Amino acid sequence: MNKKMFPLLASLVLGAGLLSACGSSNPETAAQSPDSAATAKNVHFLYNFATSSLDPHVDSSYVPLRAGITETLVRLDEENLTVAPWLAESWDSEDGQHWTIDLRDDVTFQNGKPMTGDAVKASLERALTESVAIQNALKIDTIEADGDKLSITTTQPFPEFASELVNPNTSIIDVSEPDIVNKPIGTGPFSLTSFTPGSKLEVSRYDGYWDGASPLDTVTFSFNEDANARSLALKSGQVDIVYRPEVESLESLKAIDGMVVESASTFRVHQLTMNMERESIKDLNVRKALDALIDRQGIVDTILLGHAEAAIGPFLPSLPFAPKYDNKATESGSEAAVKHLEAAGYKSENGVMAKDGKPLKLTLLTYSARADLPLIAQVFQSDAKQIGIDVEIRQIDTPEEYMASNRDWDIATYSNLTAPRGDAGYYLNATYHPTGALNFSGSEDPELTAIIDELNLTVAPEKRAVLAEQAANYVHDNVLNSFVLHPSTIVAYNGKKVKNWVSSLSEYYMITNKLDVM
Amino acid sequence: MFRILLRKFSEVFIFLLFIMFVSFLFIRLAPGDPVLTILNVDELSVSQEQVEAMREEMGFNDPLPVQFGSWLLDFVRLDFGTSYSTGQPVMQTLMSALPATAELTLGALLVMLLIAVPLGSLSAVYRGSWIDTLSRMLSIVGAAVPSFWLGLILIDLFGVRFGNLPTMGRDGFASLILPCVTLGLAISSVYVRLLRSSLLDSLSQEFVRSARARGLSEGRIFWLHALRHSLPPVITVFGVSLGSLIGGVVVIEVLFAYPGIGKLVVDAIRQRDYPLIQGYILIMAIVVFIVNTAVDLSYRYLNPEMKLKEKEAHR
Repeated sequence: MNKKMFPLLASLVLGAGLLSACGSSNPETAAQSPDSAATAKNVHFLYNFATSSLDPHVDSSYVPLRAGITETLVRLDEENLTVAPWLAESWDSEDGQHWTIDLRDDVTFQNGKPMTGDAVKASLERALTESVAIQNALKIDTIEADGDKLSITTTQPFPEFASELVNPNTSIIDVSEPDIVNKPIGTGPFSLTSFTPGSKLEVSRYDGYWDGASPLDTVTFSFNEDANARSLALKSGQVDIVYRPEVESLESLKAIDGMVVESASTFRVHQLTMNMERESIKDLNVRKALDALIDRQGIVDTILLGHAEAAIGPFLPSLPFAPKYDNKATESGSEAAVKHLEAAGYKSENGVMAKDGKPLKLTLLTYSARADLPLIAQVFQSDAKQIGIDVEIRQIDTPEEYMASNRDWDIATYSNLTAPRGDAGYYLNATYHPTGALNFSGSEDPELTAIIDELNLTVAPEKRAVLAEQAANYVHDNVLNSFVLHPSTIVAYNGKKVKNWVSSLSEYYMITNKLDVM
Repeated sequence: MFRILLRKFSEVFIFLLFIMFVSFLFIRLAPGDPVLTILNVDELSVSQEQVEAMREEMGFNDPLPVQFGSWLLDFVRLDFGTSYSTGQPVMQTLMSALPATAELTLGALLVMLLIAVPLGSLSAVYRGSWIDTLSRMLSIVGAAVPSFWLGLILIDLFGVRFGNLPTMGRDGFASLILPCVTLGLAISSVYVRLLRSSLLDSLSQEFVRSARARGLSEGRIFWLHALRHSLPPVITVFGVSLGSLIGGVVVIEVLFAYPGIGKLVVDAIRQRDYPLIQGYILIMAIVVFIVNTAVDLSYRYLNPEMKLKEKEAHR
């Protein structure tokens, strides 16, 4: 044998040996999985966020509620978009400060213990201690439990209190359990069997569930933050339901026999925030011009490939307090924009929009955490250029921080949840009240503030709806901000296997007791 | 040997303190703080006063030296704080994610060795042959292809089209294959070329010729003399590039939903979870220090010349 051949052979033998060692255990694991799937009814759900803690009161990805482990006192009725009973049968308050809540008497925790008023009190109190955010949101002063009745007093009149209890971080759990972070015990249709932080959780049916036990035996709830990888996981058959698959992969998913792709508008709105402290933006006609310039349908069709709804106002049209805007259809397009600018005193000089010889130059902020926003900014920039407005795009990192502490910008793309718990109070207070933490416009409009202040003292839902609509109309008429679109949530699933999947508008309720397999 | 270790360990404390101080400065000077995340302003109504009160309470309004002082005090008490986003002790969180990343890194290194050693050796021994050309082509492609894209291609090939390998999570050995192969392929290109050139250099040395003259077998010459002599530059590069290797792990961890420390820290950076970021930097500094010390010590084994020189110096 040629002596030079020795290293060649040795390397090959070594490499082949190690590779075969890798391969040998693979068929073993592959053979195990179909076997276990045949014996149990299982659904594998793939979610787009990962969490490393399952503490229902702290985890801001709301996985315990989404995976069907925990439930809240009240929930959002997805059809009427109103607050509906869940663990609480009913609730009442005359003044918005003193609340009585009647609990269901047939609910048990997954460890078999009954859900009593004292258990709910302890759970709410834990949520208040563990999370400053919940402390701020609920404004609870005292809680008293008497049998299945809770009496809660808030620190101030707070009509939104009931709707704030929709928040998954107010989930009711048995706080006497030792390891709430890794094994919370709730009242939902599924109890936790295992949890790998950042990777997945396994849940199994809770037979004593008060609303009828699930037909499924187990559910696997995995996380993957890469949209392409999520789509591929569905294609490979490793998972059954995928939350937010890659938009570009939808056509190839639809081409697979039995695959269902659903798209539902969310409570989110992508908006153009106006900095009311800037001289040019202070002019209503300029704001109207900018609003007219946004090619909403074009953006929906080209950037979001149709998976969004063009927005007129901040609230999703199906919400009870969303204005109808029927007789308020405003003109849009570049001609309308030019008309508004001319009304504001601007003239086109050599293709440049200028007033008193000063060209209209705008700084537009955008950030990449939401991938559509920089693209929307670019479309706006190019449309503005057509009529002679020079828009400079500035990419920022943390929008909330930047917009609050720097005022050297004119407009900004931003994305907001406008009624996450079926009530307008959050968005209107945060965005338009002078004290709101998201009031980046710097808007201090006495008339609007008065409406919001009145809303904050109004308890009756119908009256609240009227006031919220009034506020939304005021924002629209004065173009305090400009609304672009409501993005949709896309869910794809194997229709040959999964039964009764419902894409929730609120994105809170995912694994339910109705979910089944064929 | 003992003296070297002792000197190293006394250096390490100063080194760690310095690293922690610099990283502390960088993290705090970057725009943004965790207050908005903690208060969940994206979903809950919060007033500007509440934001300001929280900032004050958490000490973010204190001058930087005061903040560093209080952090240092906790640090010497080995109290690394709790994560702002989960409320869990930082070290416990990091330590539970560390084994996953260690597994992934070691697996990737094994794949890298399986590719780099045979390919590097063959292209040195058969210099200019088709195998040398092939290895050059592979190295160029390997260096040019981004690892996340390579990962997606591998998922598509072996998870969807021609196989049933797990594409995500950490479920035993099978789920390690795709991430390790992706990362291993991505890093191997550098080492193939490095090993080849280092081997070529060794094979032309006097000691190889004298070994042949002594009638040693080609295999013995290659494995015991030439390869051993070629390893120090490869190991040096490895020690230096370990940091970027761990950086590469982050991309792979996200793509394959692998619950490692890299993914944890990316989320922590996004949420400005200071204690978690600081804890991560501390752990990584220690890992890099240990690896570099091991690299230094390995020279003495791989290159007997060093030991001899040391002995001479003692005389």
